[in-house]
Amino acid sequence: MTQKPPRRGTALRLHRQLERIWSPDPRFRGWLTTNNNNDVGRLFLAVATLFFVIGGLLAMLIRAQLATPGSAFMGPEAYNQVFTMHGTVMMFLFAIPFFEALAVLLLPGMLGTRDLAFPRLGVYGLWVYIFGGSAVIVAMLMGLSPDGGWFMYPPLSSAAFSPGIGADVWLLGITSIEVSAIATAVEIVVTVLRYRAAGMSLSRMPIFAWYILVVAVMILTAFPPMILGSLLLETERALGWPFFQVENGGDPLLWQHLFWLFGHPEVYIIFLPAAGMIATILPVMARTTLLGYGWVVAAAVSLAVLSFGLWVHHMFTTGIPHLGLAFFSAASTLVAVPTSIMIFSWIGTLWKGRVQMKLPMLWLLGFFATFVIGGLTGVMLAIVPFNWQVHDTHFVVAHLHYVLIGGYVFPMIAAVYYFQPLLTGRFHYFRLGAVAFWLVVPAFHITFLAVHVVGLLGQRRRTWTYDEGQGWELLNLIASTASFVMAIGFALVILDIGITTFSGLRGKRNPWGATTLEWAAPMPSPAYGFASIPIVRGRYPLTDDPDLPQRIARGEGYLADTSRNRREALIVTTTTGKPLQVAVMPGNSALPILLAVVTSTSFLAPLVQAYWLSALALVGVVIVALVWVWTTAPRQSEGLVDAGHGARLPVAAESPDPPGWWGSLFLLVADGVHFGSLMFGYAFLWTVAPNWPPPSYLVPTLLPVLLALGGAAALAAGPRLAARAVATGHRTALALVLSLFGALSLATAAASVMLARQDPAGHAYDAALWLLAGHVGFHAALAVIMLGYLALRRISGHGLRVGEARIVSLWADFTAATGLVALAAAWLPGTFA
Amino acid sequence: MTNILRLALPFTIWLIGFSAIYALQGLTCSRHWPEELEPRLALIGGAAVFVVIQGLALAALLALQSQSRFVQTAATILGTAALAAALWTVLPVLTITVCG
Repeated sequence: MTQKPPRRGTALRLHRQLERIWSPDPRFRGWLTTNNNNDVGRLFLAVATLFFVIGGLLAMLIRAQLATPGSAFMGPEAYNQVFTMHGTVMMFLFAIPFFEALAVLLLPGMLGTRDLAFPRLGVYGLWVYIFGGSAVIVAMLMGLSPDGGWFMYPPLSSAAFSPGIGADVWLLGITSIEVSAIATAVEIVVTVLRYRAAGMSLSRMPIFAWYILVVAVMILTAFPPMILGSLLLETERALGWPFFQVENGGDPLLWQHLFWLFGHPEVYIIFLPAAGMIATILPVMARTTLLGYGWVVAAAVSLAVLSFGLWVHHMFTTGIPHLGLAFFSAASTLVAVPTSIMIFSWIGTLWKGRVQMKLPMLWLLGFFATFVIGGLTGVMLAIVPFNWQVHDTHFVVAHLHYVLIGGYVFPMIAAVYYFQPLLTGRFHYFRLGAVAFWLVVPAFHITFLAVHVVGLLGQRRRTWTYDEGQGWELLNLIASTASFVMAIGFALVILDIGITTFSGLRGKRNPWGATTLEWAAPMPSPAYGFASIPIVRGRYPLTDDPDLPQRIARGEGYLADTSRNRREALIVTTTTGKPLQVAVMPGNSALPILLAVVTSTSFLAPLVQAYWLSALALVGVVIVALVWVWTTAPRQSEGLVDAGHGARLPVAAESPDPPGWWGSLFLLVADGVHFGSLMFGYAFLWTVAPNWPPPSYLVPTLLPVLLALGGAAALAAGPRLAARAVATGHRTALALVLSLFGALSLATAAASVMLARQDPAGHAYDAALWLLAGHVGFHAALAVIMLGYLALRRISGHGLRVGEARIVSLWADFTAATGLVALAAAWLPGTFA
Repeated sequence: MTNILRLALPFTIWLIGFSAIYALQGLTCSRHWPEELEPRLALIGGAAVFVVIQGLALAALLALQSQSRFVQTAATILGTAALAAALWTVLPVLTITVCG
């Protein structure tokens, strides 16, 4: 950093200036307009914890019911709702949002930046999650819960066997929460890749950032199949499109494929952030560095991808050919390799260090003792004959709780205790946390070891009661009693953290002696995070330069100049961390919560058959999104700005690859996987659904084919020409008209498919054609809106930026490519039949 | 970004290859499969192509060195592991009944 001696009072003056620029509105409405990661993360964390409490109470109801044979505590209907909601709440409303909350809170500090890449997107994700989650809980309180299990298998979840709106609440509520998760994932990926401290190359990134990057990419690729599955099931329930009805060309196994294409990676989406926390906390507790950093990164990457190749191991009893079973059994056993690398890296880290038995360490030891057992029972379940024996028994219940509570909840509690001083500036002084640990961990093992055994003895899961005389009574009673002790322990943890947050002792900075950047910020972290963007020269910046916190506070890093009076962050090159651009961050706004309101309305209105309201809300989504983009786009060119240290950098929004381009790229990854899942579903039905071929195939005529080919070419070329015209100062009108023609031609070709097959409820083939055409039509409409935005910018005299045109070009390319593939898939069977 | 793709490449190829072999197996057992074509031969051929591509990916990662030593090491580990994973997961093609 610069060698000039600092002036007295520089740090305080800088702090005041940055506070003025970055602080949210101090009034109550500040909670609705803030987009600061500290506020968003805290709210996320509080809401996720509330859902954990609700999920835990539901678990207690389950154990109360199963404590004795023939219990009259609950009837079968209530029990079905309770276990469905327990799984749903824990998986969708607690586990994923909780680690996202920690990522939102901690990532900017760890990476040495001031906020996440798209602060407003984070707020939007938060509120969509709150609205969607609340809808699911309100439905439960009204007795309208889904009762088909958290996996919602048809035909059980179909309109015939699950009448009422319970299943619809699940499908629409959960889909909106998945949209929220995808929004946060895009934000996280772009932040990790682009928003880091100067000099923070890939090899210097904190290990948690690696894990969370991997997980965010997994969310982008795992959630779309589930969103598609929900869309298919909801259209079947609401409109009668028979995707899962065998008699009309559907196949219920398609749901299982789509669900587990999401569901299995989901387990690793939950485990890997916890693993990232372990890899972060353990070296600090052992007063050493992580053993085998590169190996752990490689293990995380391989585990993430492997997890996508295991989905069929949840379907071993569905009659899949033996060769298919063998494929997935082999792939499932592979997972043990990267997991073991991580476990041995952590054990090695403990071995080479000097362990401090502090509270976070205690919970990490709880993790080791529990997760390894869960992993081993996982390998047992990967073996097909054993899997067949214990399928749908309580053995599987015990296995997944060992993995999820041992592998996720315990490390997350360790993380909360570890980061509490950083987030609140306070330390715990009661020994309540240790007492809670000694209640939770032994009680957990007693509960779920008993559940393992009762499962091996044959007790079925998801069954509301059991008869006497099967040898299950004592084990169930032990499990239930211990589970209540465990619940008391968890309540103590929450109480302990609550007490400490509001009345703990204030303490010194970096109490654990950590080596990563987040501990260089003041405690608790101010809204701006760092007074200046740090410069790092190693993987452990606080070890390399113990004075770094003071230097940052004095403004000796990048972007310490506040004279531009706006929120700024540094964008760096992905590999080397070299300063590249200056990002201007948006200020406080109510737009994200407004967009969340209209988005959630469009999702949830169909629950009460208010389709008109859903359509109206969708128009609202478009309008608010346009206002959002319009108000954040720069009005005039600034050229290069001074970033400090002699660096003059372009403003990101004026560059050819602005943050929006990166965000679009990763959003399109999710969109591409959604489209791929749609193609997979269509191919699956075509290949194995019993009532295929359909009575007749669609035979294309020449005009729609020409429209599709010409439209795709024009749509791909138009925005590209527009971007080139902007760069060279030429007129863009012709290029925009060409693009518009392309989008409309593609939409017309898609409409021709729908017009030719007017009864999507007749056969799954027709329903699939409507969905393919719908994909093309939706994206063509999106392209038209984007082109309209560009035209409006040009007409209003705001001028177009190359980056904006390139963003539209990216979407247009995707629309053209997937449009052609979708229409080819619709037309080819009829052409060759 | 190229370096991130370098890390993602080996197991992405594994995932695509693995899914393709599973899809091919589904196809060989479906109504669309021509009777004159021996399913196991097709599967062995597909598996061989998969393993060769995985091997070529490793060779390419070794030949086209990254400027970042960390990325190069991690990519080599991942490339080797993905090749081993490919060999392990296609083994059933040689031993198990195809459509039984």
